Amino acid sequence: MTLHAPRVFIEGIALEISWADRHRSLSELIFDTTRRAIDDAGHGLAGIDSVVLAAHDLVDGRSLSSMVTGPPAGAYLRDEIRYGDDGAGAFAAAVTRIEAGESERSIVAAWGRASEHNVDAVSRVLFDPFFGRPFGLEELHVSAMRAQAWKRGAANGGDPVPASAARLAAVARNPRALRFGGSRSNASYPLAPEHLPLWADVVAAVVISGKPNGVRLAGLGQGSEPYWIGDRHLLELGALRRAAKLALAEAGCRVEDIDVFELDGMTLYDEGLSMEAIGIAKTGEGLRALAQDARCNPSGGSAAGYCAPAMGLTRIVEAVLQLRGDAGANQVPRARRALASGSSLVAAQTQTVVVLESA
Amino acid sequence: MTQVAIIGVGQTDYRRSHPDKSSRDLIWEASKLALEDARMDIGDMDVILAGVAPDALAGEGSVERTAMMGTGQPFLRVNTGGVTGSSTAFAGITWIRSGRAKRALVVCVERMGQASTSQSVFNTIFDPVYEKDFPLTTITMAALRASMLMRLYGYTDRHWAEIAARSFRNARRNPHAHLKLDLTPEDVLASPLLSWPIHRAEACPMSEGACAMVLSAADLVGDRTAAWVQGAASTSDSYAMGDRIHRPEGALVDLLSLRLSAQKAYGQAGITNPVKELRVVELYSAFSSAEAMAYPALGLCRAEDGPRFVEAQFTDASLPAINPSGGPQGANPVSATAMVRIAECALQVRGVAGEHQVADVERAVATGQGGATQFSTVCVLGSSPGP
Repeated sequence: MTLHAPRVFIEGIALEISWADRHRSLSELIFDTTRRAIDDAGHGLAGIDSVVLAAHDLVDGRSLSSMVTGPPAGAYLRDEIRYGDDGAGAFAAAVTRIEAGESERSIVAAWGRASEHNVDAVSRVLFDPFFGRPFGLEELHVSAMRAQAWKRGAANGGDPVPASAARLAAVARNPRALRFGGSRSNASYPLAPEHLPLWADVVAAVVISGKPNGVRLAGLGQGSEPYWIGDRHLLELGALRRAAKLALAEAGCRVEDIDVFELDGMTLYDEGLSMEAIGIAKTGEGLRALAQDARCNPSGGSAAGYCAPAMGLTRIVEAVLQLRGDAGANQVPRARRALASGSSLVAAQTQTVVVLESA
Repeated sequence: MTQVAIIGVGQTDYRRSHPDKSSRDLIWEASKLALEDARMDIGDMDVILAGVAPDALAGEGSVERTAMMGTGQPFLRVNTGGVTGSSTAFAGITWIRSGRAKRALVVCVERMGQASTSQSVFNTIFDPVYEKDFPLTTITMAALRASMLMRLYGYTDRHWAEIAARSFRNARRNPHAHLKLDLTPEDVLASPLLSWPIHRAEACPMSEGACAMVLSAADLVGDRTAAWVQGAASTSDSYAMGDRIHRPEGALVDLLSLRLSAQKAYGQAGITNPVKELRVVELYSAFSSAEAMAYPALGLCRAEDGPRFVEAQFTDASLPAINPSGGPQGANPVSATAMVRIAECALQVRGVAGEHQVADVERAVATGQGGATQFSTVCVLGSSPGP
């Protein structure tokens, strides 16, 4: 494929991370966040002709949930499509709509409400009913296997303590992080509770168009891996490696030129491995990057609140906030170029990477 | 805008269940047939888009992911209920139009044979507090519409039976069809009543199977016989059926979202007189009454002329052939059905539909309907790229 010169801009963003809000339904959470993104874009609803959603029936707790969740995301009498995939993948799909000339301005929204579903039970359904489910296999167990494999090759066993401390400090600075509530699954060796995602109710929304605006999409890449865990190299993260390579090439820059990284990973180790896969950290030094490099996941990553399939779009919103200088106490100084990623089931089998620039 | 063509079609046979095949077997079988039809390899694909919905029918959370073999390409999963098949095809078309892909493999699979009963699953698409206990299902919501059509426009149960008998007749010539019944309208009316006025033989079956297509940018079509995408449009309506009954834009049975999609797709294709300019219509009509409901929205007749349009189909050969494949009454693999409609239109305009080929098809239209007619898609295919 020839490299693209994307001409897509992010006009509006919104993100809300909450927990078990008894006063609002899922539809109301979606409406509130989408409305804020539209208001942030400043053009109203009338100019929007496309709605691209990322959501899962299994997470939403009803079949064909977009029947009831699409309208509060702005879908009424619009060209709407729902991806049962990560929000960054839906963002990529919305980008193609703008680039194809099919849409002038599109909403992208993604959500997941961990307070109303059993995250571990949903995770188990993703695995093969004959060869995976009988073991009780969950995505977090794959993360634990990755962590074990990584520790064997890392210097000094790859001490996670400094990286974990830096991550929790980042969460404390992040004004959007979940402050109250949330839940955690049981940790499998070698994961500790503080390495795990903090399950939360997450809704992210952005408005994009082809009209020049504050933040420009500079590069987009995607990749995939085989289904079977045994067919994958656990530490390579081949899908992310490929996606990042494509996105950076499209943006015409090197990974060293990036000012902020917001990478999606379920656990501390997944985030560290992701830093290695995109090339900002050497093999075995991903956790060191998280501990020492302020550019790496300044939001605090999965510890700030997590629920698939909203996390890729959440990472994109965090990256845009950094480029606008609106990130708050976790602002990275002079951020002009950011790289964000989103991973999807099963256990990061597919990945999307975007490179964003201040326009 | 980049012109896009369908250059490969692959379908498994559709059956009540495929106990001898895994989900990935079905995906691979349909994909392999589509790739062979296109004279291409999986490595030639720049993006792969898969569609499955709803997950609960299969009882597996990631059936499409199981088929991924590690070629590394971008892979996304579309999930839009009954229009999943057409939405997946449209996403592939968009990817190519954007210039990010030259060739796309789109594939949908249905494993509803693994569901204990489909209607108990479909009951869960409705509101848990106000609707589920009625019990509202896809059958009862179709019955509500059928009775509304009878009251407003004078349809009788004979019309529904005539349509059903024709669909089953057509399905007998389709090698992939699930039900190939030789029924008269009287036989249809004698079948058990599911929910008045719908009889069992007016309803679609539960079918498993997969459908795949290879899409290509115009410059890579070469000497292949192509079905060109002349128009494609999708519209989403409001959720509550009660909100769609008394609004100025039209009643529930007027299918506003389908009408808007048809207007847009026809506009892209330059169609001004669909009755004259379309030779084949493949409708996502899971019930025979749902087929009649779509006629006015597609501009085939006025709503009040619907009953006469049904009758005229059996005497006027100049009218478009409707569901020559047998339509969803011949097979309804829910996740794939809307893609099957497009695939069947592609076979027709390419002139390779076999025994159910309609003569001289230059243009065909395929519809998708999902989410209690909340979601509608219209796709116009032609034997030339069009305007």
